[in-house]
Amino acid sequence: MSDDEHKSAGEVHHELHSHLPPEPGLRVKAMESLLIEKGMLDPDTVDAWVETYSEKIGPKCGARIVAKAWCDDAFKARLLENGTEAVKELDDAGWAVAHLKVIENTPDIHNMVVCTLCSCYPHAILGPPPNWYKMAAYRSRAVRDPRGVLDEFGMSLAEDIELLVWDSTSELRYLVLPERPEGTQGWDEERLASIVTRNSMIGTQRVLSPDEGAA
Amino acid sequence: MDGIHDLGGRQGFGKVDVEEPEEAFHSDWEARAYGIVRAMTKAPGWTIDKFRFTREQIDPAVYLTRPYYDQWLQSYAALMVGSDVASVEEIASGHSISGPARLGSPPGPASVSAERKQALVMFERPGGAPAFSVKDKVRTKSHAHGGHTRLPSYIRGHIGEIAHVRGTFIFPDDSATGLERAEPLYTVAFKASDIWPGEGHAHLVLLDLWESYLDPA
Repeated sequence: MSDDEHKSAGEVHHELHSHLPPEPGLRVKAMESLLIEKGMLDPDTVDAWVETYSEKIGPKCGARIVAKAWCDDAFKARLLENGTEAVKELDDAGWAVAHLKVIENTPDIHNMVVCTLCSCYPHAILGPPPNWYKMAAYRSRAVRDPRGVLDEFGMSLAEDIELLVWDSTSELRYLVLPERPEGTQGWDEERLASIVTRNSMIGTQRVLSPDEGAA
Repeated sequence: MDGIHDLGGRQGFGKVDVEEPEEAFHSDWEARAYGIVRAMTKAPGWTIDKFRFTREQIDPAVYLTRPYYDQWLQSYAALMVGSDVASVEEIASGHSISGPARLGSPPGPASVSAERKQALVMFERPGGAPAFSVKDKVRTKSHAHGGHTRLPSYIRGHIGEIAHVRGTFIFPDDSATGLERAEPLYTVAFKASDIWPGEGHAHLVLLDLWESYLDPA
């Protein structure tokens, strides 16, 4: 047994932090070269993950799910009943969120998602979370002062709208289904998807604008 | 563990930076770090809960100030040291002294689409009847323990109502120690006015909580 096994993770962290270079870029380079030498990493696989998350996965995937739910009531019912199964109908838009729960905004209810303990987020549908979702300000205040947080996002929520804040403490992953805005009658799914923002699917935006859609 | 990571309800962290651009990665190193974490070989026992518990033990000042993906990498580095896969010296230099880890071949590029199509890891397990039903009142335990837990401090000792019965899921407190055991999971709704009385709140806070976090109320 090595000496390291007798150390707590906190002690190991302390030692790592004092031995590693401060610049994140240098830490990443050292880690990548060590993992390759250890036989634990194929750099081509890193490229493939980066390409996938830079170009293929992101809020556009979530937007397609929302647009389909707006156009197809039967799909929307399936989505709210079992999100994990329903998104498989969309090919690659809904891959790999193991336990997806879709929560619906209505004229009377607004939903907002946070992870106070870490940063749980439906990566496979929305891509990597924004920094603010991972930072202390949002994580501490979203549960206690959500209306104040929404004000900072430029969204004053009327007092008579019930506000539900979902703290992602398990492996369930929450996706907000925003309301379809007025003035979008007759739009096809692709055009509808173009106005659905990342923040509207986290719940830090409520009203979507038809003016931002691609004609 | 009552650590710095347990941020719900704490005060003094200022405003949210809402002006951040909507892009996957804000720098090349972030993208690389994300890709490395997704692509690297994980040793047996490195469950998501063990990873989270490892990150929770980062020095509190570091936790609040170092970039997020940098902390992911440092947590995997700590797991490597703890599992005797690498030494601190090797991680700092970027070069192996003790030779390969012998954990099998690393995943190739084809694993990216395969992994995504397989819905990653499923955390649900077969289980018996849950003790609580929708609308039951429950009280959360008032005290946790020094290990990993998903019962945040702000909700401990409070009464809520079962909103959803979710099925039987791997229990994180045990999974972080390498033991797989499953328990019924519930989504429980709490009134913010009960948690923080006198602040004028009208919203509900909903948390996913395992059965052993709860008592009948």
